[in-house]
Amino acid sequence: MKRHTVKELQGMIADHSASSQEIYKLYNNRIRAMNDSINAFISIESDEYSSGNKQADSEISGVPYAVKDIFCSEGDQTTCGSKMLSNFVSPYDATVVKNLREKGTVILGKTNMDEFAMGSSNETSFFGNVNNPWDLERTPGGSSGGSAAAVAAGMAPIALGTDTGGSIRQPAALTGITGLKPTYGRCSRFGMIAFASSLDQAGILSISAEDSAIFLEHMAGYDQKDSTSSKETVPKYTDFLNNDLSGKVVGLPNEFFDGNLDSRFQELVTDSIGEYEKMGVKFKDISLPNIKYSVPTYYVVAPAECSSNLARYDGVRFGHRSTDGKDLDAFYKQTRKDGFGQEVKRRIITGTYVLSAGYYDAYYLKAQKVRQLINQDFLDAFKEVDFIMGPTTQQSAFKLGEKVDDPVSMYMNDIYTISSNLSGVPAISHPIGFVDRLPFGLQIIAPHFKEHELLNIAHKYQMATDWHLQTPEICKEID
Amino acid sequence: MSIDKSDIEYLCNLSKLNLDDEEQSVFLSQMQSILDMIEELEEVDTGDIEPMAHPLKMTQRLRVDEVTEFNDREKYQKNTDFAEDGFYKVPKVID
Repeated sequence: MKRHTVKELQGMIADHSASSQEIYKLYNNRIRAMNDSINAFISIESDEYSSGNKQADSEISGVPYAVKDIFCSEGDQTTCGSKMLSNFVSPYDATVVKNLREKGTVILGKTNMDEFAMGSSNETSFFGNVNNPWDLERTPGGSSGGSAAAVAAGMAPIALGTDTGGSIRQPAALTGITGLKPTYGRCSRFGMIAFASSLDQAGILSISAEDSAIFLEHMAGYDQKDSTSSKETVPKYTDFLNNDLSGKVVGLPNEFFDGNLDSRFQELVTDSIGEYEKMGVKFKDISLPNIKYSVPTYYVVAPAECSSNLARYDGVRFGHRSTDGKDLDAFYKQTRKDGFGQEVKRRIITGTYVLSAGYYDAYYLKAQKVRQLINQDFLDAFKEVDFIMGPTTQQSAFKLGEKVDDPVSMYMNDIYTISSNLSGVPAISHPIGFVDRLPFGLQIIAPHFKEHELLNIAHKYQMATDWHLQTPEICKEID
Repeated sequence: MSIDKSDIEYLCNLSKLNLDDEEQSVFLSQMQSILDMIEELEEVDTGDIEPMAHPLKMTQRLRVDEVTEFNDREKYQKNTDFAEDGFYKVPKVID
């Protein structure tokens, strides 16, 4: 099997070497052939191609893509990886899905994910864990694990994900693909099922940074249905991809290079820095002194917002409904007991605790103040540097089941990624090599609304290297 | 801060969530380790720092007060088998 990039598919459609129907059929067949072993998709669209918008004539018309099952798409089952929504059929499109539909793109299916995006290994999904295409006994990461595995295995050329604490970048790193979390507010959150509203952001998992640039332009932008979406102009990201990098300054925070990284991973990071130096990029050591508080800050703010957002699942108007409750109170409690999995319940209870009378100031208010300090660290650093770099994760893909009973150890997966969500800055992860045949990723962070610069720097690296084009063995068994 | 079983029961009630006994005891130890991790924040001097509720400095926009959405009740009620005459059915609330 050849994994096609979006760029290549555009070329095939333009020169008529393949029709959009043929391309759709190719991916639909691959999904049907591989999903039993990878479990990347919760639902798969029909075998029959139906072009959503025949009038659309855009540069991405006819390009198929996968959608994380957290985005509403009209007429489709939209589960958010939960039993609670396993019977929910979305009556409308999320704005990012609507934007892409209007440009003539075609949905291949809805991808598996940690339940309500709460998890870093895709093991909290009601629909079973996803297997990493590089080693089926390992996690693809999470929460956008299905989207990452689908792109890595060539079941989709590109996929939508969401990133609340690393849920695009960490699975991208663990599956050897590119993952972009845009600035908070860059893409509308309307129709994207809420987990932590001040942190959630829609983004892209793709083979190359160039593909992300192509798609982001069509997804992003102000939406009057999301009052937190930004009115900042959406640039044509592909125009910036080949900009010269000489003279750009990258900060390497001491806190991301604290000696805890295995030397084999450290070597890959050092090699990628060497590659960037060849392009004229300058490096300097910096410090983000409060970043070490990112994980505890996040695990106050995110559960607090989650406990509030998930109050809507009461079984009355949609979703799972328990039939056991004698009275309304018992009905709610039983519906939520049966409908939610362990991790979601734990976060609802943690969030309720940090918001409850007597603890609000000590936990929630305190965490919001530390969040301000973490944000200030980024703002200060970006007065001196154009980018911040470091490893995306502390390790490559771990074995399924390895961390599932120890939430704090699982939460530490996101140690490098969480701070960008707290601050709202954009970040990208791209592959930089392998250790024991498992991919590893580099994270690059930029100031608010500098996605074009992130895509530029990652694209230049990908023009000089081919780590992002490596495909797992499992692809070779499929046409 | 240490928590006990009665705290978990209290929080379950606030969250409208039932847990069985086994879940309660697993949660108790897991939540204790989560709270121990969170308590690291106490060492940060946050004196007069303004709390950050949102990543972007923006004010809440208000739209013009015009009707843009219409009642799609029937469409939305397709997501439940427990709607009748436009109402949602729930267990009896008043005796």
